[in-house]
Amino acid sequence: MTLLQILFYVMGFIAVASAIYVAATKNLVRCVFMFFITLFALAGLYVLALADFVAITQIVIYVGGILVLILFAFMLSGKENLNIIQQQGSRLMNLSTLPALVLAVLFFVLMVNMMGKIDADNLDWIKSSIQNGNVITPDANVTDNIGINLMTRYLLPFEAISILLMVALVGAAHLSRKERTA
Amino acid sequence: MDFYLTYILSAIGLFSFSALFALFGVYAERKVSAFIQDRLGPTETGKFGTLQTFADILKLVQKELIIPAAADKLLFILAPGIIFVAVYLGFAALPWAPGLVPSKLNLGLYYFFAIISVETLGILMAGWGSNNKYSILGAMRSIAQIISYEIPAGFALISVVMIAQTLNLQDIATQQGILATEKIKFLGYWDVTTTGGVLSWNIFRAPHLIIAFVIYFISSLAESNRAPFDIPEAESELVSGFHTEYSGLRFGLIFLAEYSMMFLVSMVGAILFLGAWNTPLPNIGPVHLATWTTGTAWGILWIGLKSFALVGVQMWIRWTLPRLRVDQLMNLCWKVLTPLAFVCMLLSGIWRLWLM
Repeated sequence: MTLLQILFYVMGFIAVASAIYVAATKNLVRCVFMFFITLFALAGLYVLALADFVAITQIVIYVGGILVLILFAFMLSGKENLNIIQQQGSRLMNLSTLPALVLAVLFFVLMVNMMGKIDADNLDWIKSSIQNGNVITPDANVTDNIGINLMTRYLLPFEAISILLMVALVGAAHLSRKERTA
Repeated sequence: MDFYLTYILSAIGLFSFSALFALFGVYAERKVSAFIQDRLGPTETGKFGTLQTFADILKLVQKELIIPAAADKLLFILAPGIIFVAVYLGFAALPWAPGLVPSKLNLGLYYFFAIISVETLGILMAGWGSNNKYSILGAMRSIAQIISYEIPAGFALISVVMIAQTLNLQDIATQQGILATEKIKFLGYWDVTTTGGVLSWNIFRAPHLIIAFVIYFISSLAESNRAPFDIPEAESELVSGFHTEYSGLRFGLIFLAEYSMMFLVSMVGAILFLGAWNTPLPNIGPVHLATWTTGTAWGILWIGLKSFALVGVQMWIRWTLPRLRVDQLMNLCWKVLTPLAFVCMLLSGIWRLWLM
């Protein structure tokens, strides 16, 4: 076991364990804070996959933005509402949880099946990429690559997303605006 | 295995530096505030009161760690640690001298920006965990302010990155002095690549970066919850905001984080705008002042002096200006700083295309 492998397993374990806690706990605020640990472990896994830009973006957007907004919503809603959620019953087998359970089991079966069939070390596209030299080395500058690709090959999706965000921004401003006429 | 030892040693070095800086910073803050308000400040403990902060720390260490009965114990205990670690991690990517940087990240600036936002989570944790109305109000004010001011700060940083064309803080530092590998022009027309000194700093390479620097500096005050943006701990309304319930070492850790944050944002400001570890003295004809004053020890000296000067300005502002009201704070951020930062970014693009 090299150091990289040890790091991978440690971060994988943290990610899975904290994700299970997030799904299982009744304490909603703790659940959000635990989700923060999951996201950090995932960012670590991204770094191991040489996607350091994605890892840092994950922290900026999810930890600095989305998690904080979720917590804001909690803090504005007061403790009584949160307590009601905590007092709900927790039976695993229930008519309302049946669809979710079936879906989860089916997905798990599918995943195990795929894991058995696929030979991850000898995939064709990975082999051809290695032969053509189309790989990223640990000292590569990924940011340049992402920037150039965004502005050339993926320009249309990039612009479409910016228009979508613009629409959302205008909508938010309109909703929160006070009417001048009383 | 030698390099693991170096990693650990540099981490310990940075930690002890931030602890020492907090000790020095508290003493300096008291003396500066005393000078501004025409008082004497600490005088009794040690010569000129120099041992006052050591005595305070000694007192703080002995105090009981109180956990309120209604608090969420886990969050309450973890919060100071997260607040401090978030600030401390920020130091990992900052260069101290030519060739002396804890971690050579090619995404250094972006990493700094990301890791700072983790602190907000620690503050929310402290506010919620304390289960106290004052704490939670303080935490919410703090978060609203930090999230808002991240936007102008981010755009000010982007306008530097557009000039420098890199996110690596060490590369940005190297570009602003005689060690630069590319052509440096003072105000866009005078070639100062070999002259160096103050002339090749980023704020003079592209003069609109002076505005960007002021925007960044104001935003950094808000992000480290310093006056005039200290409504999160406005003692006349909120006791002391999100750290009302903390005592002993936990309070010490929050305090340490606050002072480390002051130094961290000052150091980033110095690196990006004020020439990082480059000397302010230019080469004049046969007098090679810049060449003589560039090196590892000189680098640490210059970056230290610049950062301390900025920290000094932060303290000066704190004891001079009154606190901003919430609506004034948001007006300043969204109606003044954000549009100005956008204009700076636009100017950077034009500057880069036509003048560099």
